[in-house]
Amino acid sequence: MSAVVDFPVKPEARPYLEAFAESASEPDWLARFRKQGLDRFARQGFPSRRSENWRYLDLQPLEKQPLLPATAGPFAAAPELELTSAWVRLFIVDGTCRSAVFRDLPEGIWIGSMERAIRERPDLVRSAATSDNSAERPFAALNAALFADGFVLDFGPGVVLDRPIEIAHLASNPGASHTRSLINLGAGSRATVIENYTGAGRAGRYWRNDVASWRIGDGASLTRIALIEESADAVHLGEVTATLGTGAKLDAFALLLGGGTVRHEASVTLAGDHAQCRYDGAFVVSGREEANIVTNIDHAAVGGTTSELIKGVAAGSGHGAFQGKIIVREGAQRTDAKQTSRNLILGRRASIDTKPELEILADDVKCAHGASVGDLDEAALFYLRARGIPTDEAHRLLVEGFLREPVEGVADAAIRDHLLGRLSARLARLEQWT
Amino acid sequence: MLQITNLHVRLKDGREILKGIDLTVAAGEVHAIMGPNGSGKSTLAAVLAGRDGYEITEGSVTYQGRDLLAMPADERAREGVFLAFQYPVEIPGVNNMYFLRAALNAGRRHRGEPELDAGQFLRAVRGKLKLLEISEDLMQRAVNVGFSGGEKKRNEIFQMAMLEPRLAILDETDSGLDIDALRLVARGVNELRAPDRAIVLITHYQRLLDYVEPDRVHVLQGGRIVESGDKSLAAELERRGYGAADAA
Amino acid sequence: MSAPLDTQIPALNEGYKYGFVTEIETESAPPGLDEDTVRFISAKKGEPEWLLDWRLQAFRAWEKMAAPNWAKLNVAPIDYQGATYWSAPKSADDAPKSLDEVDPELLAMYEKLGVPMREREALAGVAPRNVAVDAVFDSVSVATTFKGQLAELGIVFCSFGEAVREHPDLVRRYLGTVVPQNDNFFAALNSAVFSDGSFAYIPPGVRCPMELSTYFRINAAKSGQFERTLLIADKGAYVSYLEGCTAPQRDENQLHAAVVELIAHEDAQIKYSTVQNWYPGDAEGKGGIYNFVTKRGACRGDRAKISWTQVETGSAITWKYPSCILEGDDSVGEFYSVAITNNRQQADTGTKMIHIGKNSSSTIISKGISAGRGQNTYRGLVRVQPRAEGARNYTQCDSLLIGDRCGAHTVPYIEVRNPSARVEHEATTSKISEDQMFYCRSRGLSQEDALSLIVNGFCKEVLKELPMEFAVEAQKLLAVSLEGSVG
Repeated sequence: MSAVVDFPVKPEARPYLEAFAESASEPDWLARFRKQGLDRFARQGFPSRRSENWRYLDLQPLEKQPLLPATAGPFAAAPELELTSAWVRLFIVDGTCRSAVFRDLPEGIWIGSMERAIRERPDLVRSAATSDNSAERPFAALNAALFADGFVLDFGPGVVLDRPIEIAHLASNPGASHTRSLINLGAGSRATVIENYTGAGRAGRYWRNDVASWRIGDGASLTRIALIEESADAVHLGEVTATLGTGAKLDAFALLLGGGTVRHEASVTLAGDHAQCRYDGAFVVSGREEANIVTNIDHAAVGGTTSELIKGVAAGSGHGAFQGKIIVREGAQRTDAKQTSRNLILGRRASIDTKPELEILADDVKCAHGASVGDLDEAALFYLRARGIPTDEAHRLLVEGFLREPVEGVADAAIRDHLLGRLSARLARLEQWT
Repeated sequence: MLQITNLHVRLKDGREILKGIDLTVAAGEVHAIMGPNGSGKSTLAAVLAGRDGYEITEGSVTYQGRDLLAMPADERAREGVFLAFQYPVEIPGVNNMYFLRAALNAGRRHRGEPELDAGQFLRAVRGKLKLLEISEDLMQRAVNVGFSGGEKKRNEIFQMAMLEPRLAILDETDSGLDIDALRLVARGVNELRAPDRAIVLITHYQRLLDYVEPDRVHVLQGGRIVESGDKSLAAELERRGYGAADAA
Repeated sequence: MSAPLDTQIPALNEGYKYGFVTEIETESAPPGLDEDTVRFISAKKGEPEWLLDWRLQAFRAWEKMAAPNWAKLNVAPIDYQGATYWSAPKSADDAPKSLDEVDPELLAMYEKLGVPMREREALAGVAPRNVAVDAVFDSVSVATTFKGQLAELGIVFCSFGEAVREHPDLVRRYLGTVVPQNDNFFAALNSAVFSDGSFAYIPPGVRCPMELSTYFRINAAKSGQFERTLLIADKGAYVSYLEGCTAPQRDENQLHAAVVELIAHEDAQIKYSTVQNWYPGDAEGKGGIYNFVTKRGACRGDRAKISWTQVETGSAITWKYPSCILEGDDSVGEFYSVAITNNRQQADTGTKMIHIGKNSSSTIISKGISAGRGQNTYRGLVRVQPRAEGARNYTQCDSLLIGDRCGAHTVPYIEVRNPSARVEHEATTSKISEDQMFYCRSRGLSQEDALSLIVNGFCKEVLKELPMEFAVEAQKLLAVSLEGSVG
């Protein structure tokens, strides 16, 4: 059944409205939430590039032809994962949680698919799901209407798991996957999550629209790594909303290594005093790839710290962009925030945009940002060549050296090595350096 | 080994820095090139190593019978030319060991020798580190990043020891070193003296020559070699200064 | 231990010392804006047909445009139909032939403002350096000094209206080539109704021997001021240009929507300095000028250079981005800015550096000072086009916060389309250091003097770019603007 609405619908939203089907088995609150999301999306449609937040992303691949939720095709088998240290593994294939592997878990951890959580833990899901209705997030609205599954992770107070929880998102069929996830960390708990996003060879043209919400309680600590290695024709839109309690800590890193159009967006609110946020990222684009990292870090309490280091490399005709905003609210005194965006352009037709932004409404703060765009350092290049390293290899070494810095900020040695390995493999595939 | 004939070099802005250098260095020899600041010493070193930004307007450089100037910088290095930089470059993110192994194996591939595996490489590194009294954890850092001035210079000599060049050019490697570091550097250089290897020391001062005895000493001034002699010339220069060399 | 900053300081209460109203008979157009208003203005000025057509084109473009809706500015809706678009001293009807014919009230007013209107003999070491001044009172240029001396060098320096009459070819050739009529809402408005302004042309190879200056003054109530400045430095020429502005204290907001176009040909240099001190409104934010200005320069030839320096202390709202289009190879653009917002002032200012020519380079130094409930935004664009091989930009943006109710925002856009370009941006935000204040005070400086000293130090890199005549005035303005901000 298609939805009936009584307001102007953006033309690009129409096919999605028509594809929307109510499910009788879902609870009322969820049905309402989906309808609200659908209405919002219908009203807003796709963001235009005039919208400041979407200034640097070309959404044409989505606009040309709508990507509707995949009709169940043959699912690919879950891939073997390389991270041997992982303690829990969830496989989400084409937007639906297909298998989970657990080892002994400490008491106080609930982990499972979103679909199961809606049935078993509505207390958790309901408040998180119904809280996002911000105006400028049309794809989150569409996600609310269409999401099929995702995962929920809940840590009770004081529960600590240092071994990583691995979530593998795999696309194996064309179409759209809307996933929605929730991480809820009770006071003083600690978790490490690595999510990787990949496309199987035959997945073709697909759209992943991943929306996540993280609530990090007082004194809790979340380490989260995103490794994005989508297929060449994929559109990946990932959106995270995080709230940090008093003394809470978020340590996030996103590594964007592949996908036709990739956007990684995070909105973090330091709601409690003395919260700490590290949000680092790196992207590599080549061919005609587009990558966007967008962060919005909001200091709403005193004594918070933020550190951001985003490094980007654009080769071929690739386009990469960083848009980062740090807000210090009135009264958020003693905030210490630093934001750094460093970029290399390697291709004649490659391009980089960067917009690091500070919005400061308190005076007792230390805030700084820096941005640079350039090519490889000539002196370093000559030094390497003077030691006999061929030019191509010297280029690769320097580029890898350039990108390693944020990766090396990842504390878990096994994850770090895994990421460095993926990074090296990506750079080895980069087109001829020019 | 190295034959420089009537070499004229100017910068992109048109200033002529080298105005006709003639120099022949035979295998097994150590030559010192001395001269005041701005005489063209570092330009000569850079041109020999193949740095961009210089225009060779006249003259030739032959290395082991081949036209050195026709080779790109990395090929020169693989052919056995080594420049110890006056200001070693910091390369953030690139691990020292990784870098050195890449360089060493590039040379080995070039010569048709098998590449060293991690174990063989590590054993080779340890021996040379000891010689230059460099701590192993320095090797785990990024190339030259966070090194003191003396550590950078010792790292250059360490790389030289590892790469075992045919022709080593040391550009003011002695400047800014205290006496202990100077001794270590000299030890590294002396260790490398061999009948099939030539060494060119570029220096402002005579003090390195107290530890590394040169076969020939040349005075470079105003872009030309104005005087050549045996090791006694260095001591003489120290006494009378560069000003008097004009008269000679 | 550092001194508490909350000690009440006795306000100097010099306040806005330029807030007087001059009693002069003025002639105004009826309020409102339609094609007839445009025709009225053009007819008043006896303009040729082509210029009227140009204005009408602009007006038609403006009618189709919507007033911008800015992210960071809080602008009360402007009643464009309630404003007066033409106001001139009545005596300007039979335009003064020389300074002697200028209304003595006007001359006295400029004296009061400290604008030198009398051509004085320059006595070596005694008199200040000569500055040629074009004074714009409300909508009309009232007098231009030193014209004779400049004419001997082939330099044209006159009011815009006079340039249209005397040098129509030059005006026609350059007008609107840097800021097209439909560039933005306020530029379009200006193009339709601009009243007067200054014009200068420096012929090839000529170095202008004195600073050229325009002094703007809004006097009449409810009037907008829409002046237009056009400055051309031909091949190898050099000129330094100063611009100053004041307005009386009035309760309602007045609109100032100027357009400045600069053209630098091959090897030419233009240095453009502004000290903007329009009435900022009172402490509660009542009144004050809306300063919505489009300033842009084009480096048309190789090795051309345009340098903008601005000290923005006044206006209720400032919205301006003096920009450089670096078309020539090896061309250079510079932007040096100090912007102060106190009380309820809002400033959204910065620059655009568009790199088109090879090896073009630009430097941006911006210092923002926020006090009271002031909101200060740096917004800048550095764009490197695909063929701008070897382009370079360096940007440094520092913000100083005085008090916990103000805001400082930094919004740089960096867009690079060439791999050999290097662009660097650094920005810091800090509050005024209590340690520095204490140190100064323990050496005997008063709180205001200490503040003024520190703020001047913070702005030094920009102030040193100002010509001597302006630097002193600018320093005093900084101090006055911050009055009452510590306490």
